[in-house]
Amino acid sequence: MLLPANVFAISPKEIMAKSEAAFYYQGRDFKARMIMKLISAGGQERTRELTMLRKNYGPPGGNQKYFIYFFQPADVKDMTFMVYKYPDRDSDRWLFIPALNMVRRIAAQDKRSSFVGSDFSYEDVSGRNVNDDTHSLVREEKLGARDCYVVKSTPKAGDVEYSYKLSWVDKADFLPMKEEYYDRRGELYKVFTADEVKNVKGFPTITKRTMKNIQSGHRTEVSFTKADYNIGLPDNIFSERFLKQPPRRWID
Amino acid sequence: MKKGAIRESLTGFSVNHPKLVIAIVLLITVGFMTQFPKMRTDTDPKNMLPATSDVRVWNDKVEKTFGLYKDTIVLGIVNGRGILNTGTLGRIRNITDAILRMKGVAARDVSSFTTIDNVSVDGGMLKVGPLMTDVPKTDAGMSALRRDLFANPLFINRIISKDGKTAAIYVPLEEGANGKQVADRIREIVKKEDGGEKYYIAGDPVARDTFGAEMFKLMGVFSPIAGMVMLVVAFLMFRSLFLSFSIMVPAMVIIIWSLGFIIGLGYPIHIMSSMSPVFLMAIATDSIHIFNEFYFRYRERQDKNAAILDTMKAVGVPLIYTDVATAVGFGSLMLANIIPVRVFGLGVGFGTLALLLMSFTLVPAILTFVNTEKLRRVSEREDAGSGRTGRLLRGLAGLGARKPKAVVAFGLILFAFAVAGTSRIVVNNNLIEWFKYHSGIRTADRVLNRSLGGTSLGYMVGIANEDDFIKTPEAMRYIEGLQRYLERLPVVGKTTSVADYVKRINLVLHNDDPKFDTIPDSKETIGQYLFLFSMSAKPSDLDNMVDYPFRRANIWVQLKTWDAQAMRDVIRAAGEYKKAHPIAMEFKPAGIAYFNLVWNDDVLWDMLKGFIAALVIVFIILAFNFRSFKWALIGYVPLLFTILLIYGVVGFMKKDFDMPISVLSTLSLGMAIDFAIHFVSRFKRRLAEVAGEGNPEKEQIVDSLLWTAARPGKGIMRNAVLFASAFSVMLFAPLTPYITVGAFIVSMMMLSSLLTIIYLPALITLLRGWLFKGGPK
Repeated sequence: MLLPANVFAISPKEIMAKSEAAFYYQGRDFKARMIMKLISAGGQERTRELTMLRKNYGPPGGNQKYFIYFFQPADVKDMTFMVYKYPDRDSDRWLFIPALNMVRRIAAQDKRSSFVGSDFSYEDVSGRNVNDDTHSLVREEKLGARDCYVVKSTPKAGDVEYSYKLSWVDKADFLPMKEEYYDRRGELYKVFTADEVKNVKGFPTITKRTMKNIQSGHRTEVSFTKADYNIGLPDNIFSERFLKQPPRRWID
Repeated sequence: MKKGAIRESLTGFSVNHPKLVIAIVLLITVGFMTQFPKMRTDTDPKNMLPATSDVRVWNDKVEKTFGLYKDTIVLGIVNGRGILNTGTLGRIRNITDAILRMKGVAARDVSSFTTIDNVSVDGGMLKVGPLMTDVPKTDAGMSALRRDLFANPLFINRIISKDGKTAAIYVPLEEGANGKQVADRIREIVKKEDGGEKYYIAGDPVARDTFGAEMFKLMGVFSPIAGMVMLVVAFLMFRSLFLSFSIMVPAMVIIIWSLGFIIGLGYPIHIMSSMSPVFLMAIATDSIHIFNEFYFRYRERQDKNAAILDTMKAVGVPLIYTDVATAVGFGSLMLANIIPVRVFGLGVGFGTLALLLMSFTLVPAILTFVNTEKLRRVSEREDAGSGRTGRLLRGLAGLGARKPKAVVAFGLILFAFAVAGTSRIVVNNNLIEWFKYHSGIRTADRVLNRSLGGTSLGYMVGIANEDDFIKTPEAMRYIEGLQRYLERLPVVGKTTSVADYVKRINLVLHNDDPKFDTIPDSKETIGQYLFLFSMSAKPSDLDNMVDYPFRRANIWVQLKTWDAQAMRDVIRAAGEYKKAHPIAMEFKPAGIAYFNLVWNDDVLWDMLKGFIAALVIVFIILAFNFRSFKWALIGYVPLLFTILLIYGVVGFMKKDFDMPISVLSTLSLGMAIDFAIHFVSRFKRRLAEVAGEGNPEKEQIVDSLLWTAARPGKGIMRNAVLFASAFSVMLFAPLTPYITVGAFIVSMMMLSSLLTIIYLPALITLLRGWLFKGGPK
C-alpha cells in the first residue's frame, strides 16, 4: 500500500510502445497495395500507387525490412525501393531506377524528409523509435466514439522539424487515431488522421489515412486497396536481385 | 438669378455671420476627423492595380499553380575572409534556428545551409539530406561541405556566392505577415551574433513595409514642417501673424476634409495620397489672391466689410476658374488605372473644391476679425507702383512687353533645348531606388545583387498543350536552352528550372561524371529522375518549378535590378529564342518583376490619358473663362513651356520618368494654369478700364501689362513662392519620390510664374494685332 494507486496504470511510454507495435509491427509480415493522393492547396492532384511489403525481424520496436514497388505514376512503373530499418541507427535504403537498370544505395540523413513528395515523412511510413522522445499523458478523452489517451511526445534531440507531437491513441487497439505536430514556434502545422480502420485477419488496420500540412494547405490521402498479414514473405525478397525483378506474386 | 448671386450671397452671409460660419466649418471638420482612427497604409506595389486586373489574376494563378510565396526576405551574410569557417557557419546555424521560430515566417520553406536539401554522390552512394546538419568540426568535414556547396549549381549564387564570401538565407513569409516586422526581428537576432560578418536584409516586402513606415513618418513630420515654413514665409510677406494664420486655417481645414473623405470611403493611404497634405497646403495658397487684393482694396476703401465684398467680386471669378481647373487636373487622375493615383486624384480634387467653398465662406469670415489698426499700417506698404517687389515685377514684365521679339526668340532656343531633352526621357520605375543610395535597404540590395543571383524575381512560365509534355527531352532541352539564352542578358543573374533538377540527378546517378551533366534522352528516364528528386528534396522544390500534370514549367529568372525595364529585356529575349527554336509551348511572363513592368507601362498610358484629358478640359475652362480661343491659347503657353522645360531637364539628367513625375505632369496643368488665369483675366479687366471698348493702343497694352505684373502679379509671385516653399521641405525627405515631387513642384512654380510675368507680356505685345482684332474682348 506504499505505492501510489496509478502504478497499475499504463505509462505514457508504454502507450506509445504499444501504439508503435499496433501501427507498424502487426503480424510477422504485411503486404498492402495503396493509392496515395498528393493534393495541393489549390486542388491539384498527383497520384502514386504502390505495393508495400514489410517483414519484422525481432519483436516490436526491432529491425524491419520494407520493399516498395511503384505502379504509378506511369513513368516510374517498375521502380522499387527497399529499406532495412534499424531502430538505433540510420536505415539503409536502396532504389532501383528502371530507365538506367541501376540500383543505388541511398544514405539517408533525414528521416523527417518527405516520402515520395508526400506529406508523410519516412518516419511516418516506417515508425519512429519510442526512445527518441519523452512521453507524457496529457489527458484521456473521447475522439468520436473511441476512448483515447492523448500523449505528448517531445523529441529529445533537436534534429526534427517539430517541437512536439500529440497523439490520440485508441485505448482498445492502440492505433493512433489522430496526431498533431507542432512546429518550433508551438504552432500546429501537421495533422494526421486515421479515417478508416478495418479488421484484417484479426488485426485492426488503418486503411485510410490523411496527413495534412495546416500551414501550406497541402495534404496527402492514403487508402489501402488490399491489405494482408502473415503471408509468408520469404527473406530473399529483400535483396538487390528482386529490386530489379520484383516477383509478381508478391507485389500484385 | 443674377450671375454670381450665390457666390455673393455666400460671401455676404459669411461677412455678416462670421462666427456662425466658422462654427459650422469647425463642426464639419470634426466630423471628418472622426474617420482618422480608421487610417491604414498600403505600400504593396501589387495594389497599384486592381485585384481583377489581368496581370494580377494571372500572377495569382501562377503563384497558386506553383505554390509560390508572394513575399520572401533575403538575409545576406558577408564575411570578407570567406563563409566556410566554424564561426560563421555556427552563426548561420543559430540565425536560421531563430528565424525558423519566428511568427509570420513560412518555416517549412526557409532556405539556408541547414534547411536546404542536397543530393550528392559519395563512393557510389547517393547522399540525401540537408546540406549541413551541423557545423563541420574537422577539416575533412569542412572540405566536404565546400565540395557539396560548389559542386551543386543550384546553390551557387543562391545560398553561396561564387567567391564564397557571401551566404544567403531566404525567408518566405506567410500571407499577411508584415515584412518590416520580420526584418526588424531578424536585425535583432543578427545583432546578437558578434562575429566579423556583415548582414544585409533585402527583398520586396522589407522595402515595401519600410516604405509604409517612412510614409507615415513623412506625413506626420513633413506636413507640419511644410505648414510651419509656409506660415513663416507668409508672415515675411504680409508682416501680419493674423493674416498668415488666416492662410493656414483653410489649408488645415481642407487637409482634414480630404483625408477624412478618403479614409471614410475605406481607401488606405498610398504613396501618392501621403503627399496630399502638402499638395493641399500649397493649393490653399490660392487664397493668397484674396488677401493680396484685400490689402489693395482696404487701402482704397478703408472699410473692412466693403473691402472684403469688393475683393471677392474682383477675384471671385478667377478663383472659381483656377480652383475648378485644379480640381479638374486632379480629377483627371481618376481616369488612371493605377489605384494610388486614382485615390490621390479623388482626395485632392475633393479638397480643392472644399477650398473653393472656403474661399467664399471661411476666408471672408476670418477676414472680418482682422485688426483694422494693424491692417492700416501693413497695407500702407502695399503699393503696386512703389514696392520693391512691384518694381521688380514691372521690370520683368517690361522686358517682355518692350523686347518681345528677343524674349520670344530666347524662349524658342530654350524650347529647342527642352525638346532635345524630352526625347531622351526613359520611362522607368524602380521601387528600390525610391530609397536613397546610402539607405540600408538600397545598400543591402546593391551588395546582394553584386554577389548573388539577383534580388528581383520574374518568372517565365512555359505552357504546353498536353499533360506530361514537360517531361519530354524536347521540352527539357528547350527550357535549358532558353535559360542559357536569358542568362546572357546583363540584367539576369541566375535562372533556375526543373531542367536543372533533372541534370543534377543525372550527374549524381553517374558519379559526377561531367558527361552526364545533361538532359537524358528519354521521357521515362526524366520521369524517374524527377521522382527520385521528389524523394530527396522538399516537395515545394519541385512544385515551385512544374505543375502537377507536368503541363507547365516555371523558369525562375533572378534579376540584378528592380528596373521595370529589365523584365522587358527578358520577355524580348524569350521571344527571340522561341522564334529561332520553334516548339509547341507558349512562354508567358509572371512574377513581381513582370508586374512592375506592367504597372510601369500603365503609368505611362495613364499619364498620357490624364494629360490629354486635362489639356482639353483646362483649355475649355480657359476658353470659357476668357470667352476666347485665342486667349486660351496664349494662356496655355507659359504652362506648356514650363512642363516641357522640366521634361527637358529630366531627360538630360537621365532621371527616370517614374510614377511621381508622370502624376505631377498631369497635375501641373491644373496648378500652373492658375497664374495665367489670374494674369490674363486681370489684364483684360484693366485694359478694358483703360482703353474702353475700342481697339487698344500699344502703349495702353504695355501699361496694363505692367500694372498687371505689379499688382495681381505680386499675388502670383507670392502664391508661387509660398507654394514652392511648402514643397521645398520635401527636398529633405529620406525617400526619393518625395524629393522628386518637391523639386518638380518648386521648379514648376518658379518657372511658370516667371514665364507668366515675362513671356505672357511678350506674346501679348507681339500678337496684339491678332489678339485684339475687334476690341479688347
